[in-house]
Amino acid sequence: MTHGSAVRNAWAPAGTTGWTVTVVKPTAPETAAVTSVDGMDDATLVAASIEGRRDAFDVIVERHRRTVYQVCYRFVSNHEDASDLSQESFVRAWRGLKTFKGQSALSTWLYRIAVNVCLNRVSVKTPPTDPIESSDHFEDTRVEGAQTALLREERAATVRKAIASLPKKQRATLILRTYHDLSHQQIADILGSSVGATKANFFHALANLKKLLGSEP
Amino acid sequence: MTHLTSDELIDAVEGTLDEARQQHLDTCGGCRQQAADLASVLGEALAVAVPEPSPLFWEHLSQRVRTVIAAEPPAAGGWGSWLRWPVLAPIAALALIVLALAVALPREARVAPEVTTSEASDIRVDDRFALVADLVGDFDWETAVSAGLTVAPGAADRAVLELTALEQQALTRLLQAELTRAKS
Repeated sequence: MTHGSAVRNAWAPAGTTGWTVTVVKPTAPETAAVTSVDGMDDATLVAASIEGRRDAFDVIVERHRRTVYQVCYRFVSNHEDASDLSQESFVRAWRGLKTFKGQSALSTWLYRIAVNVCLNRVSVKTPPTDPIESSDHFEDTRVEGAQTALLREERAATVRKAIASLPKKQRATLILRTYHDLSHQQIADILGSSVGATKANFFHALANLKKLLGSEP
Repeated sequence: MTHLTSDELIDAVEGTLDEARQQHLDTCGGCRQQAADLASVLGEALAVAVPEPSPLFWEHLSQRVRTVIAAEPPAAGGWGSWLRWPVLAPIAALALIVLALAVALPREARVAPEVTTSEASDIRVDDRFALVADLVGDFDWETAVSAGLTVAPGAADRAVLELTALEQQALTRLLQAELTRAKS
């Protein structure tokens, strides 16, 4: 009896003719390959996050945390609050991922969230700025005289304080344009205004800053 | 030729002023001075750097975010994100309170009596309203909007039209009292 099958009678006594069964061990089921998130672009990371891949969102945080922190720091001028606001911005981003349509870059969307979080917070309280000698920061003063560094830091604190006292939209415009080099169109998109209004806000921010710094000793 | 507008001054500072207006800037001392002042203050602002946090901070920040979102529902959200106790509990409690008040209060009491300003301020210390205030106190505007708890255009007008004459009088008095208080 011939059979085309690989199954033959293996339990037949030795020497007997008949069926021989070769037990073919089933191969282990292929485990679903988990795609690495490291090389994904932002759009793919967003899609993966929406599908529940928290590791994908982790990469988003890793890629954008410095920018978000810097925006927040510009608003509040102290590390503790900037840190809290950055965390809050990312948590809000996670909650709102499904609303991200990909019409703008993810970074622009994150800017918008961070700016809104900061504007809401600074309208509640204006936190104190970091003391000049903050132990949280590393400032290499070996290359210049300590006195020069101190004077420079004092002036920087004065400028930060002046920026913090600007009206909210002027402050947001100044921060995004000056420190993050966003175009007027991008800023208008983030703040929900027009390019004309953004330029006007930038002009008034600089003019007010000039007055405020001019009145400082 | 007219002086540069604020937009054009910004363009001048950023080097994007069009040629015709650039010719004015080249010949107008006032505009040149304004543009120079803006450029100077911009330069001063640019010189202010964000202090670099500790190298360990970045991973610490990621970890904090990770911890918070671990307790969050999946990012997909939708109605699923509302079907959880932290959201449902206050809504259910609020609904029960409204239901209890509707049942407990006699019909006559639901017709607004003459409300004086002092009575209106008593509302704020009423335990039931304090409970409602506590329950909704953590809701911010974004949460309300994403939950669809916004007021449709014209809804306030319709609500006022549905009030009885006595209720409208009481509302008018309350609004006047609030306006007077705001002015003082």
